[in-house]
Amino acid sequence: MRILITALIIFVNFILQTTLFPLLAIQGIFPNTALIIVTSYALLRGSKEGAIIGGGCGLLMDIFFSKMIGFYTLLYLAIGLLFGRSQKTFYRENYILPVIFCIISTLLYQAVLYITGFMFRGEGNILYFLFSVLVPELVYTAIVTIILYRILFGINEWLELKEKYKYRLF
Amino acid sequence: MQQFFEKYKKQLLRGGVLLLVLITVIASGKQLNVTLLESAIGVVVTPFQDLTTGISSWVDETVTASRNKADLKKENTELKNQIAELLEENRRLAMYEEENATLSLLLKIAQKYPDYESVGATVIAKDPGVWYDGFTIDKGTKDDVSANMVLIAPEGLVGKVLESGMTFSKAQSILDSRSAVPAMSVRTGDLGVVKGNYTLSADGLCIMEYIDAQAEIMVGDEIVTSHLSDIYPAGLAIGKVLELETDTNGLTKYAVIQPYVDLKHLDTILVIDKSSAIEKVPTLPNPVTAPAVPEESAENAEIPDTPPEGEGTE
Repeated sequence: MRILITALIIFVNFILQTTLFPLLAIQGIFPNTALIIVTSYALLRGSKEGAIIGGGCGLLMDIFFSKMIGFYTLLYLAIGLLFGRSQKTFYRENYILPVIFCIISTLLYQAVLYITGFMFRGEGNILYFLFSVLVPELVYTAIVTIILYRILFGINEWLELKEKYKYRLF
Repeated sequence: MQQFFEKYKKQLLRGGVLLLVLITVIASGKQLNVTLLESAIGVVVTPFQDLTTGISSWVDETVTASRNKADLKKENTELKNQIAELLEENRRLAMYEEENATLSLLLKIAQKYPDYESVGATVIAKDPGVWYDGFTIDKGTKDDVSANMVLIAPEGLVGKVLESGMTFSKAQSILDSRSAVPAMSVRTGDLGVVKGNYTLSADGLCIMEYIDAQAEIMVGDEIVTSHLSDIYPAGLAIGKVLELETDTNGLTKYAVIQPYVDLKHLDTILVIDKSSAIEKVPTLPNPVTAPAVPEESAENAEIPDTPPEGEGTE
């Protein structure tokens, strides 16, 4: 049940993210909802499941848009793994922490992409990137996270109620 | 099973990560069509992307159509006038083409810009990230689309296909910072490379680099693809020069290019296959023109005779 619903979330998010969301983008920028889902899921369910969800989201990205397979998979997987570590140390009912964590993960993600893809080629004006891409994206991310996290939180509560006991994939 | 995972979870994770890195390293630098597994996932995902894009564009169309009916009427009359003008011009150009074919036949030059077989395709998904300008089209190996084919719109060059699955292909536009297209200016013949630039691509512009500092290229010049590429056929329109700047090294210039195609709002595009070049012109008009020409050939036939005369005077 959990596997099915989680797979559905990833799948629906990917389709919306690649087709509908670019139309809703403001000045060509829309928050990376896949990243928000991976981070939220890692916060709700821990490292291992965060890593698995991250791997799934990244693999879809790789298959459809990347020149080489594995790059996004590894990046999302690492983010899921990293943010899952804080699962045990905070109350997941909290409203503010997921927003802060999603902002940090977006920063991390964009920094990795910039360093691997642009910095060594001497391309991409860092100041331009900081002020007209990163700052607006962080603001949108914060707003979208508030809504998206509540939805994921609700789904997770419902699933855990159905399972009654804590079932772990690994 | 559970115990096995619990016991070796660290090693398993490490192994997985290592495997991924290995796959990335091996797969990078190879330009292959996608594997069976990727194709299988593509077959599942693309119909949904197709559906969602279809629905959103339908909603968009209905909303805008009802909003500006008057505008559409005005545009319709304008377009009708334009069609009339273009038909007239087309007739004139058709005559030129015929004349060109006859003349190049006489001069025994192969046609410079051959026709290519093309397949129509629709953009069904866009790269959600902010860094790259990639997209997915709804034609794959099933429709004979494969890696390194070129994408064009009626106005000019769009990009190329990176990889093809069975029902979809990954593509990259010329705004993508990974893309590089050998190009030249039509007026002066100066060569350069049109590249995507991250900072400019937000405004739908790209950059032409490595232009010689002495080149007489000017703002407003038309830029087309050059003969120096394995992938892009020569003579495809790219865009206009918007700005010219000398590089800091003083040896080369770069130009900011405004592409003819609106690359931010792509919808329907054509995929052309360079290897399918139909070089019909040197052979085809041969039987057609040969019988038709004789009356005029009296004067045309003198053309091959003139070079010896020229040589004689030298």
